Amino acid sequence: MTITADQIEQWIRVGLSEQAQVSVEGDGRHFFATIVSDDFLGQSLIARHQMIYKILGDKMHAEIHALSLKTLTTAEA
Amino acid sequence: MSIQEQLKQVIDENEIVLFMKGTPDFPQCGFSGKTAQMLQSFEIPFASVDVLASEEVRQGIKEYSSWPTIPQLYVRGEFVGGCDIMSELYESGELAAIIKAEKTESS
Repeated sequence: MTITADQIEQWIRVGLSEQAQVSVEGDGRHFFATIVSDDFLGQSLIARHQMIYKILGDKMHAEIHALSLKTLTTAEA
Repeated sequence: MSIQEQLKQVIDENEIVLFMKGTPDFPQCGFSGKTAQMLQSFEIPFASVDVLASEEVRQGIKEYSSWPTIPQLYVRGEFVGGCDIMSELYESGELAAIIKAEKTESS
């Protein structure tokens, strides 16, 4: 079953607070997620990306081949 | 030595080391190629490890940093990030600063 960008968007959304804006694009192999959320306040880039990887958990190892992340706070967006 | 110990040694012994797919001259993946290019643009020597040469290394480095993707850049023993982070740092000038920072020795 191929993962869709919408699915990834849902998975990420569920793991963040309500005000987060999540947008995922992709071709079934490579995905690009842009996330704007104040969950990232005070977090280094690595910590922000780790947060997203943690939300996705095992799916990162099994189902998602490549995921590019752009993580911004609302002030940075 | 366990693979984790081996990786730690490589990371400690090389000031700048990029774990990538392929080599800087023959990258096997777009993201890896991009990171190698960024480093090459600084015209400083750096070490690179081709994770495709060893499944143990490929899995081991992901465990080492608790980071699920390749490429991975380490500078002076610290994990700096993958392609996305490196690109952002490159554009802001921070990557150059990190790479070229003088080693601070306390006397």
